[in-house]
Amino acid sequence: MMQELRKERLDRGIKVRADSIYAISSLKEIMFLMGPGLILVFGLLVLPAVVSPYWQRVLCIAGVYVLLSISFGFLANYVGLVCLGGALFVGVGGYLSGILNAYFGLSPLLAIPLATVAGAFICTLLLLPCLPLRGVYFAIISFVYPLLAGRLIAATGVFGGTDGIAELDVLTNKWVNIYLIFILILVVVFGISRLVNYEDLGLVFRGVKDNEQAITASGLNITFYKAQAVFIGAALGCFGGAYLSHLYGWAGMSLFAIDFSILPVAATVVGGSGILYGPLLGAFLLIPISEALRAFGTLRIVFYAIVLVFFVVFWTEGVLEYVRRKYEQFEHWVRV
Amino acid sequence: MKKRFWWVVVSVVVIGSLMASLFLAGGCAPKTQQGTQSVKAEPIVIGSALSTGFLYGWDAEKAIKLAVDEINAKGGVNVGGEKRPFKVEVMDTRDLEPGVPVSDALLAVEKLILEKKADFFIGGPVRSEAALAAMDLMSRHKKVAIFTTGFLTPKFQELVAENYEKYKYSFRISGSSSNMVGEMLAVFKALTDEHGFNKVAIMVQDVAHARAGGDIMATQLKNRGWEVTGPMIYPTGTLDYSDGLFKARDSGAQVLFIWMDMPESVILLKDYRDMQLPALPIGFICAAEQPGFWEATAGKGEYAVAHLVNAGNAPCEATPITMDFVKAYKAKYNIEPEGYGTSSSYQAVYTLADAIERAGSIDPDAVIAALEQTDMVGVYGRVKFDEKHQVIPSLDPAEGVVPQLIQWLAGKRETVFPPSIATTQLKLPPWME
Amino acid sequence: MELVIYGIINSVSLILMSIGFALAYGVSRVPNFAHGALFILTGYITWIFLYQAGLPYALAVILSLIIIALIGAALYQLILIRVRGMPISEIIASFGVGLAILELLRWAGLRGMTYMLPPFMKESLNIAGVPVSYHRVIIVGAAMIMLFFLWYFTHYTKPGLALRAIAQNERAALVLGIDSDRAATVAVSLGAVLAGLAGVLLLPLGNIVVEMGYEVLVFAIAVSVCGGLGSWKGAVVASFLIGFAQIITVTYLASHYHFVVALLIIIIVLITKPSGLYGRQKELEERV
Repeated sequence: MMQELRKERLDRGIKVRADSIYAISSLKEIMFLMGPGLILVFGLLVLPAVVSPYWQRVLCIAGVYVLLSISFGFLANYVGLVCLGGALFVGVGGYLSGILNAYFGLSPLLAIPLATVAGAFICTLLLLPCLPLRGVYFAIISFVYPLLAGRLIAATGVFGGTDGIAELDVLTNKWVNIYLIFILILVVVFGISRLVNYEDLGLVFRGVKDNEQAITASGLNITFYKAQAVFIGAALGCFGGAYLSHLYGWAGMSLFAIDFSILPVAATVVGGSGILYGPLLGAFLLIPISEALRAFGTLRIVFYAIVLVFFVVFWTEGVLEYVRRKYEQFEHWVRV
Repeated sequence: MKKRFWWVVVSVVVIGSLMASLFLAGGCAPKTQQGTQSVKAEPIVIGSALSTGFLYGWDAEKAIKLAVDEINAKGGVNVGGEKRPFKVEVMDTRDLEPGVPVSDALLAVEKLILEKKADFFIGGPVRSEAALAAMDLMSRHKKVAIFTTGFLTPKFQELVAENYEKYKYSFRISGSSSNMVGEMLAVFKALTDEHGFNKVAIMVQDVAHARAGGDIMATQLKNRGWEVTGPMIYPTGTLDYSDGLFKARDSGAQVLFIWMDMPESVILLKDYRDMQLPALPIGFICAAEQPGFWEATAGKGEYAVAHLVNAGNAPCEATPITMDFVKAYKAKYNIEPEGYGTSSSYQAVYTLADAIERAGSIDPDAVIAALEQTDMVGVYGRVKFDEKHQVIPSLDPAEGVVPQLIQWLAGKRETVFPPSIATTQLKLPPWME
Repeated sequence: MELVIYGIINSVSLILMSIGFALAYGVSRVPNFAHGALFILTGYITWIFLYQAGLPYALAVILSLIIIALIGAALYQLILIRVRGMPISEIIASFGVGLAILELLRWAGLRGMTYMLPPFMKESLNIAGVPVSYHRVIIVGAAMIMLFFLWYFTHYTKPGLALRAIAQNERAALVLGIDSDRAATVAVSLGAVLAGLAGVLLLPLGNIVVEMGYEVLVFAIAVSVCGGLGSWKGAVVASFLIGFAQIITVTYLASHYHFVVALLIIIIVLITKPSGLYGRQKELEERV
């Protein structure tokens, strides 16, 4: 006779205690609470130091995608804007930094922050007219912008046209290269999670997503707040673009490539949506997987697609949710 | 539960049989074959970053492997007295696919440098933008690279001329678009002289190089007294070219100049035939380069003229060794050289081997010096680099590397230009007589 | 005259490419982003039947359409059914499947020029002095017949009515005993057949290449967005709008603007009337 069983999940004792006032009663509990954050910090700081030079370069690129994924996750999960404008952000930031460096002779250390802020401002202005749109409509428009930008550059031949801007200064020290973006990722991820969880502005953002009428009723201008959120998201992307153009000493049309718009979505799917760390983890998984599969040539995309479908269809919660469950809960079989 | 079961069974059967037929019918899945290497010495690694899903990528890959196998069969390269074999590492860059950022192609190059320990580079990246960016990497890592395919922009020579110390590591053994336009204009001049043609309609694909090429051709032809219609620009993937063909017909054009590397240009040529447009189709037509073109158009592509950039990408007698190459390629892959990028990639391996032997080492600076002194008879003419590291073109194979224009006649690619290697006269379609 | 004739042909091609996508979304709210892959796959299967198995053309076409219907149904039953109602997941899952199909075909050797289907008739005829190949006439004719059947199917047959019922009011339809999943299976499968039909009709104009799969998907999305997501009548109107707009800009303006016009139409329609020309009134859903 078959025995019917089901899996029961229970919170670990330490989780229950750490949720309440006993959180700081012992070192163990404190470590339980801070563990994930510490792992993230140490992981990101140690990882670049232990891998081979080639994988350091991969991590640099992965860093750019991580920033884009965080930007996508922030806008989608906390503000309710599904923004496929990653390519726009990267393109504007990369070109601005390239122009500042090549035409005005600013050093990369000055050009990158300037391009980040100015680029974010430009992107926000560009997206302003379509901010009232929602959901899929906003997604489509933000997706079309980078396509148009690429064509405009090709058609008019500005900024070097299809050849791009050559001979930008590069950050020669590889440790500066890699830690610049890794430390920024840490700052951003903790900064944004603080913003959305503990600040008033974050509360308004969430209201924009969940209950627009409440925001309007409070006498707040929704479009203004959406613009602020887009500015934050765009700044991340613009930094990524500016960084990328100085990583290879090159700014070209392919900075508007749609991969920059698509990959963050995939990263969110794989990593798990809902919290910021999901997209982060997803991007850190996907880029190295894609690199590792490079040996398979064109078959690489097939594997990639299958992995994606598998996650979307059969493992919807994503990697992070799964890990978190294992961390916070234990499972056992009970008889029905 | 039962229903779901049936779904699974049915779809497994359908998908399974499809996969089976895929492998039976396709059959030409890339096989990683390592030439049997009897030589014990440490191999010299040639890295080649190519967009292997596309013609300009896979033909280069095949040609490089052919040349390397030939050299290894003879025992390898003589490096200061020691015979060392070549070893090829191919990396897919996908850089010809739209929507893929250049950083992806550059990572492939870096992987070749840092992980696969490539000593030299032959091949791509294929897209100009990616190749220009890769030149930077080459100089940073001091790797000598010979670009052989896709990379056509005159910006290459400019960079090397401007900053020799930095870009001296890069050489280009295939054409530069400025030369290609010059060769095209020579063909147009011949058409005026022989047939009195003076009206042309230009149709180009909406990609940067083709559009730029179309504009240059338009102004140059206008300066030479041609009446120009267009350039008419078509987005990649256009299925209908009737409007341009009608415009060409109404303008009385006798020549249809096409610059397209999308497969849909086959539609254009089929429609051209159906309309019996009284104009000669000529230009850079990726589709018409390949041996499969005749079948793909069911013979409707007859009379199309395509510029193959370097001779030897189709059978011809440019130099004594051209046909040797064509035959060896056919013997190995059971297909004639398919198009632009084949003969140049093959030649690049031999040129590199020659330079290494003369330098007697694989030290970059020594090899660069040797490459600059290169003067050898190659597959498509005399191979010499100018001070900008661009191979010197010419219309005479004894002077420099020659281009090749082919015309499709009775199912074969017949060489029609330059006169020094032509096998037949350029023919006009019968409805133009 | 040329303008009218080729404008119609261009528009009808757009209809063929987009109708399957619009229909599947319209009746089952499933955005089938594997649309372009199914388009190419049908062409490839037909090619196999025609040249590897040596079947007659008509039989090869019918068989491959049946197979593509099964694949469409399997796509829904095995994959999409699990992510029903989550638009982003549906898009990613179906796009992933399409990507896998297309790139697998490319890897297995579907590249280069050798794969082509012959046109149904080789000759061409003159309509008011404009040469048109018979094959294009057949395309227009077939599209007309297809539209008529589609209209008949959704208005006068039981499964068709069930599909519309689900689209209009899913709860009421469920109460009336209409199986939502079965209807969606039929819809996706029908969409796949329409994509396949478009492939068999349009591919003989050129040859079978993987790139076209992506392009067809882009066209289908552009037309559907413009016509109102999910309204297949809107898709027909939008096809004519975009089709003629393109031909007119090429003739009177310059072909540079071919693509720009299409993009501009999409942006203008989206900003002024986000749910498209024929979208139902959903002001609250589409903007704040």
